This record gives sequence, structure tokens and C-alpha cells, in this order.
Amino acid sequence: MIDMIEKEDPVISEEEAAQYDRQIRLWGLDAQKRLRGSRVLLAGVGGLGAEVAKNLILAGVKGLTLLDHEQVSEDSCRAQFLVPVTAQGQNRAQASLERAQNLNPMVEVHADPGRIEDKPDDFFLQFDASWTPSEICIKKVAFSRQHRSYLRVLGVLGQLDKLGPTHQSQRHQPTHDFTRGHGVPGLVSALFGHDLGKVKCEVCLTGCSRDLMVRVDQLCSKHNIKVFCGDVHGYYGYMFCNLGPEHNYVEEKPKVVKPPADSNDGPEAKKAKIDPNETTMVKKTTSFCTLKEALEVDWTSEKAKAGLKRTPVDYFLLHVLLKFHTDKGRDPDPKSFPEDSQLLRQIRDDVLEALALSADLLNDDFISYCFSEMSPVCAVVGGVLGQEVVKALSQRDPPHRNFFFFDARKGNGVVDYFGPN
Amino acid sequence: MVQLVGSLRRELAESLSTCKVLVVGAGGIGCELLKNLVLTGFKNIEVIDLDTIDVSNLNRQFLFQKKHVGKSKAQVAKESALQFCPSANITAYHDSIMNPDYNVEFFRKFMLVMNALDNRAARNHVNRMCLAADIPLIESGTAGYLGQVTVIKKGMTECYECQPKPTQKTFPGCTIRNTPSEPIHCIVWAKYLFNQLFGEEDADQEVSPDTADPEAAWNPEDTAARATASEKDGDIKRVSTKEWARSTGYDSVKLFNKLFKDDIMYLLTMDKLWKKRKAPIPLDWQQLENMRPQEESPASGLKDQQVLGVWGYCQLFQHSVETLRLQLQEKGEGSELVWDKDDPPAMDFVTAAANLRMHIFSMNMKSRFDVKSMAGNIIPAIATTNAVIAGLIVLEGLKILSGELESCRTIFLNKCPNLRKKLLVPCILDPPSANCYVCASKPEVTVKLNVQKTTVLSLQDRILKERFGMVAPDVQIEDGKGTILISSEEGETEGKVLLGFLSILQGIFLQEQEKHSDEELERDVEFEVVGEAPDKAPPPQNNQEEVNSITNGNKDSAQPSTSSKGEHHCSFCVHKQKHEELLGSIVEKVPTPLASGAIVASVKHSLQTFFVA
Repeated sequence: MIDMIEKEDPVISEEEAAQYDRQIRLWGLDAQKRLRGSRVLLAGVGGLGAEVAKNLILAGVKGLTLLDHEQVSEDSCRAQFLVPVTAQGQNRAQASLERAQNLNPMVEVHADPGRIEDKPDDFFLQFDASWTPSEICIKKVAFSRQHRSYLRVLGVLGQLDKLGPTHQSQRHQPTHDFTRGHGVPGLVSALFGHDLGKVKCEVCLTGCSRDLMVRVDQLCSKHNIKVFCGDVHGYYGYMFCNLGPEHNYVEEKPKVVKPPADSNDGPEAKKAKIDPNETTMVKKTTSFCTLKEALEVDWTSEKAKAGLKRTPVDYFLLHVLLKFHTDKGRDPDPKSFPEDSQLLRQIRDDVLEALALSADLLNDDFISYCFSEMSPVCAVVGGVLGQEVVKALSQRDPPHRNFFFFDARKGNGVVDYFGPN
Repeated sequence: MVQLVGSLRRELAESLSTCKVLVVGAGGIGCELLKNLVLTGFKNIEVIDLDTIDVSNLNRQFLFQKKHVGKSKAQVAKESALQFCPSANITAYHDSIMNPDYNVEFFRKFMLVMNALDNRAARNHVNRMCLAADIPLIESGTAGYLGQVTVIKKGMTECYECQPKPTQKTFPGCTIRNTPSEPIHCIVWAKYLFNQLFGEEDADQEVSPDTADPEAAWNPEDTAARATASEKDGDIKRVSTKEWARSTGYDSVKLFNKLFKDDIMYLLTMDKLWKKRKAPIPLDWQQLENMRPQEESPASGLKDQQVLGVWGYCQLFQHSVETLRLQLQEKGEGSELVWDKDDPPAMDFVTAAANLRMHIFSMNMKSRFDVKSMAGNIIPAIATTNAVIAGLIVLEGLKILSGELESCRTIFLNKCPNLRKKLLVPCILDPPSANCYVCASKPEVTVKLNVQKTTVLSLQDRILKERFGMVAPDVQIEDGKGTILISSEEGETEGKVLLGFLSILQGIFLQEQEKHSDEELERDVEFEVVGEAPDKAPPPQNNQEEVNSITNGNKDSAQPSTSSKGEHHCSFCVHKQKHEELLGSIVEKVPTPLASGAIVASVKHSLQTFFVA
């Protein structure tokens, strides 16, 4: 890991250029270079996790570690195509390794069956210094974790813009063979509240409890770590991101071409025009709020009430599903459909009442459509989420701010902002 | 009480496991789609693709690996998808869906057909077959970050051909030949040049200076005079470019000097062209050779990304001409090469020739990478967009199988959320267009043409096949005797006969002609479809504001054509031909399932093409 970061050649090889040709034509060589300088830890390899893993491996990140302590079961693998059918009972990360690797041999894929919470802080500390200060290589680590049987956390971590020179002295300490030091410190430090100094990270969480997400998000915000959250429940899926108070990116804009002075009246030389073949990169900045702020919007204010009509109801559905998770310690399960339906209805009433909103806002219709994990919904949400991670890693194009909701029954995909303005 | 299998209603899950579906295309969308289908519980799937796997597919077509390069996409996709669900029953066809073997009966086997195609011809064809078989079709396409999914059901929704699609962008011949102002003009020219030298010669792809350019003379008589003059003095243009090149033994220096010096000098004599434009600067091989830079240090980075100097492109030109000459020689007497962006010498040749011409016309030169994008009409493609679109296809499919066709939508994937905050934009499906010549209950279209100039063959090839996208048309004259005019069987059509010679038609035309006596075809237009501007720009927008233009991943739509089959659009160009003498007009019924000869055979009595008296 240390060596790779130090000697990382920012130049794309001919082989990579051939394989990534169609995407380099879309997002450019610079974005591709940033991707291939990114290491990702992905913990929790369920249906959505598998989709995100596939998308990031195909995009051509430098490395990906699959972290998951779960055993393969029929239910947990309904939408999981990385696990072979013969792998029942095996560890899910290890069972996913071979297929994940086959997606792209140029990406270093690793599997770890451990629990992230079992790793001691100092285990991650040693990696902290292994990051090379580099303007060119932006390091990222995605991480995701399984928390008990139902909790999935998926994270992208460890963008390293500038690291103080004091860290460099530790660079040659031996790395742990678990993640080979893939910037996990960012994430785990985030989880365990360790001070990250100047390390900038991104975290992306899917399917975990509200409390954990809020905690991680707050820690990450404090340390300038970028956060993604997401989950799929039956026909519904969502994504949240917090890229910090200041996220910088570039956007490609068409170049306005001024006519050369000597050809101002030629029949084909017209006024200043936009040349579709020429573009310029414009630097931009945007800001995000924390998940806590985004979930604690006050709906009693007049202004909030006025905006209620234009608010996607999916936001309230998310509150209901998060509450269900908090109360039951799991997601709605098809095996206990009658009880869970009843509970969902009750929680819906409670949640809306607590927010001082009418129960009509969310009718019963959603209840029987929010069970289990559905492959095409994972594909849609995993596609949008994967692309957002690619955007953040490559610092190109405006990110979706700050929620994406997908309703598969309507085919509707909404991006909306919740939180203080 | 609702019973769930995973996320799905039990009844739906059961119908998935028994129904049979067809996936047309095993590329970017097709791979994602096969995965989603087997994971959702579809058990009987057939997949067809005529293509083989290329290394540039591997960034998104995740069922394929490097070791599969060169193998059948359909076959490998089947094998990989089966690993996700070995109990599924997948049939793979390494074939074109336009093969007549896949007839209406074939399509009727399926509950649902899903298109994952990349070209309009195949989309048109599957559209017609699904209409003929009355099977619901889910159509899809992606281009970069954008994508679209829609549902087509006979009698309920618009079909794929209800709205005219934007045609390929073409460039006026005189811009290509005389006055290029953008790199694309030089790239188109270079591709024409390839065909003129090594490929199939096409009169529409002339590369020499256009002496008849009216802009050069400002008045058409001068133009005509000049044109005649140039014919008289046996200008080299009058000899086929290929013959001339062959006579020099494909001498790259001679070719170079003709193309980049003599022809440019000739253009300079058309001085009116350069009054208000920057005049081109001819290149001379010897001069460049003498001035050539001393041992250039090889630049680092990707070869394709570099922009060489003029001498670099001279050398590339020389080297590629030599390689192509040998290729031609190996193929034997009278053979032709077909330009392919993935054939390195062919791509090198176009890169070199286009850049030299760009330089001559004072444009900034382009890297091979950029030239390839434009010359090869490459549509960028990423895994995530295809994943989203393939997910949406299955979701629409689930609605259809639940009997909820009315809840189906056409859904657009945007790059950024629109003003209504939508990244994925569902829109109500429009009802069929009443005058669609493909799906209307009485498909009929009127074509105006000159019966004295149109042969049976051009009726078949240019009008029925090219314009109306028929694959193997049969045409019968509605004269009470059922005279066969065009047969899909080999050798049964007398192609060279002018329509005007067929006395029966003559009567029809004369009768029809009265109706249109005040109209005439525009000059140089072979035929015209009445009631439809032939190359109407983008299709009408849907009634919802968020509907963006249909990119739909057409290999043949998004990019400019480099084989200008269409009419001349240059308003300056005056054509030497006199007005068409006799204009006739015919009414044709173009029945939907004419797309394939096989269909015609099965439902012949009602499906012939008629000329209506």
C-alpha cells in the first residue's frame, strides 16, 4: 500500500486507455486518473453493496476491499450477484471476492471477513501516516459495514489532499495485512471519533440505523469527511450525501468562441458562437449539511409548511423506515408480513404526528411495497449512488444535493435538499 | 391478504417464473438487464446479439472478461448470467434479429420483448415485429449520462416510429470539398478520401475541389461554364481518384502533393471563395521534408492523446497509405477496403489526412483520440447509466406482467435534476399517432416521385428499404391481376425498369398527377414523402416540460453522418440538372409487418404493398 501510493504513476497505461476508452471519452483523462488513484473499502456486500462494488470496480478505482462479517443466506443474497449459489454459509465478503475481481483485473480487490467494530483504533492509526501528500493522487476509501444482521454501512473514505509532513516519518511502518492500509483510518477514525488531522475522507453508508448514520455523519463532518448514505426497501430506495461545508469540483462548460478579427464578415464566420467541440473547465464549490440537520427539519414553521406540497413524500417514508429499523433492530421482513405491516402503519402515524404533519401525507399504499431488497431497485439506486461516488472521487460535475429518492412504482427519481439553507 | 416472495406479490413472482421473455442485444444494457432479470426471478429468457466482444466493452459489459474478447456476446452473456441463477433457462442466439428466421411466430413465443439495442435499423425492425405479433415491447437507450426507457404496445401507445427521428447530420458537398471551417468537415473529407482511394467509390463522396461551387462564381452561368471547362481540359478529377492513385502505385508522396498541394492551389484559383475567408495554405512534401524537425523527443503519455506536428502527420499519412496499399494488394484485384475506426491503419490514415487538411485550413489539429470520436461516431458509455436503465426496464416489465399497462411510463434519466427536481423523469405514454405509416390501423403513405426517372430497383432500395426501413419488401400492383412488381425472392424483380414504362402505373400516375399539378419535387430530390418534411428536425416534444430530447443511444442519430446519403442541403449549391419533367405521385400502403419477407409469406393476403389507382 505504502509503495503503491508513493510510486503511483499518474499516467494511464495504454491497456487502461483501451479498456476505459468509452468512459474516458465521457469524463476525461483527469477524472480517470483520479479514479485510478482511489482506494475504496466497501463493507457490507448485499444487493445494493454488490451494485456499488460492480460500478466502482468497472469504473477503475485503484483498489477495493470488501468488508463483511455476514454469512451467505438465501434471503440476504436475493439481489446479490457476486456470491455464487454454492456459497451458502460462507462469509459474504470472501464469497464475493472472485467474481468481483473478475470484473476488472486492473483493480486490486480484497476481502475481509472481520467486523469493523472489532478493529482497535491503533490498528488504523498506523495507516494514517501512510498517506502520501500528493496533489495529483487523490486517495479515497469506500467503506461499508454490516452491523448485526441488518445493518449495512457502505463508505467511501480517505480523500487525501494534503497531509502534513509530520506524517511522512511513519510512512514505512509495516502495514496490516487486513486492508493493507487503504485509508481505512479515515473511516474508522470517523466511527471511533479519532482525530484525523488534515486527512479528508468520504464515507458512504447504506442501510444502517439512523443513530449510527447520524453519529458517523457528525463525526465525519467534524473531520471534514464526506459522507454518503443509502438503502433499498422493496420498491423504494434513497441516497443521502454530505460532502462537507465546502465541496470543490470542476464542471465542463461549452466554450464561447469569438470570431477571429479578420473573418468577421465571411459567409460562414458568424458572431461569437458556442463551439460544441471546445469546452472549458469551470471550478465550483457547493456546501452540504449533516444528516442530523437534514433529518431534523422543523415542519412547524410557516415556510416549511408552504413548501410541503413540493416536498417528495419519500422523505417521510424514509423517516418511517428508519424508525422501524430503530424500533425492531431490523428491516421489514416478508416472513412476518402481517405484523410488520401493522407496525409500519403505526410508525407512519407516530412519525407524522411527531413531525406535526397530517397522516394523509403518506397513505397505506407503501406498506406492502417496502419489503426485502429488489434487484432492479438496487440497480437504479446503486447506479445513481455509484455515479455520485465517481463524481466525488474525480471531483467532476455538480453532486446531487443532498437526497436522491427513487420510487420504483412511479419510476420517479427526485433530488431534493433538506436541511438549513 | 398480500403474500410476498421477496419484494414481489406471490402472483407476480409466479408469473415471472413461467413467462418467456426476449432480450434483444447483449451489450451495455443487455448485460445489466440479464442480471436483473435472473435476480428478479425470470426463468425463461432468450437473448440475441450478432456482435462479438471487444476490449472497449469491458468498462461496462460486466458479464464479459478479457479472456472472452472475440467471442459471441450472446453466448458469453448467457453463460455468465446462468452463474447468478443456474436454474434459469437461457437460450442464446449469435445472430441478427433482422434475420428472417426470427419471424412473427418467433416473436409470438414471448410475453415480453426488451430491446437493448444501439442502432435504429434494428429498433425499427423489432418495433414492427412486435406490432405484428402484438407483443409488448420495452425500448431503451443510453448515451453517456443520459438514458431512456419506454413501453410500446400496439393500439395503446406510440410505436417507435410514430415520431420522426432526427436524421444524421449531413454536410454540404461544397463545404467538405472546398471550404471546410470545422475539424469535422476535414474528418468527413478524410473518410470520403479513404473510400475514394481504397474503398467503394461513391459519387456523393467526392473529395476534389468542387468547380461548380456557386459561391465561387456568384452566378450560375459562370459556374456552369467553369464546370464545362474543367471537364474539357481533362482535369484529373474526371479520372476516378482510385484509378489515378492506382496508376501511381499508391505513391504516397504523389498522393500527398495532389491532395494537399495541387488541389489546394486549384481551390486558391477560385478566388471568390477566399475574399471573406482565410485562404488555405498548400503543403509541399519536399519542402516539409527539408524542414523536418530534428529527432523529436518522444512525448510521454498516451499516444492517442498527442497532437503531432505537421511532419508527424505527413509521416503517418505515408505510413498508413503504404499499409493500406498492402492490405488492398493482399485482398487481390478489384478488392475494396471498408473503413473501420478500430482498424489501426484506416484510423491512422483518417487522422493524418484530416489533420493535414485542418492545418491547411488554419484549424487547430486534433489528437487521434479526438478524431476517432468524431470519425467513428463513438457514443461514450458507462456502467452506471446502463445499470439504471436496465433496472427501469425490469420495473416496466413487472408492471406489464402485473397487467398494469396503464401505469407504464416512458422514463428519462437526466444528468442533473430538472427544474422539478427530477433526475428520473416519468412521462405518460402517448397514444399512437393516427397517421403513423407503421402502426396505424390503415398504414398508408403518399410518395411523390418522377416515374420517368425512378426504377423499380430504386423504389425498392431507396424508398422501401432505405426510407421506410423495410427488410425484404414484396410489392404487388393493385391492377386486379396481382402483378408482382417487387419480390423478396432472389432474382424475381426486374429492377432496371423505370416505373414509367409500366403502362399500368403510368395511368395511375397521370391520374394522381392532376391532384398535385401545382407541386413539384425540389431539384435533385429523388422522391418525397407527402405530408412529412423529409428531414424534419427533432421530434415534437412531449407535453411535459421535463421531456428532453431523445438521445436514445442511436449509433446513427447523435453524430453527423459521414456518408452523406441525403440530399444536398447547401443553399448555395445549384445543380446543373433541368427541372424534372414529369412528376408523378403514388400512394403506397406500407403495411407494418413488411419488415420481413417471412412475415409477408405468412399473412400475404392482406399485407402486400399497393399502388392505389
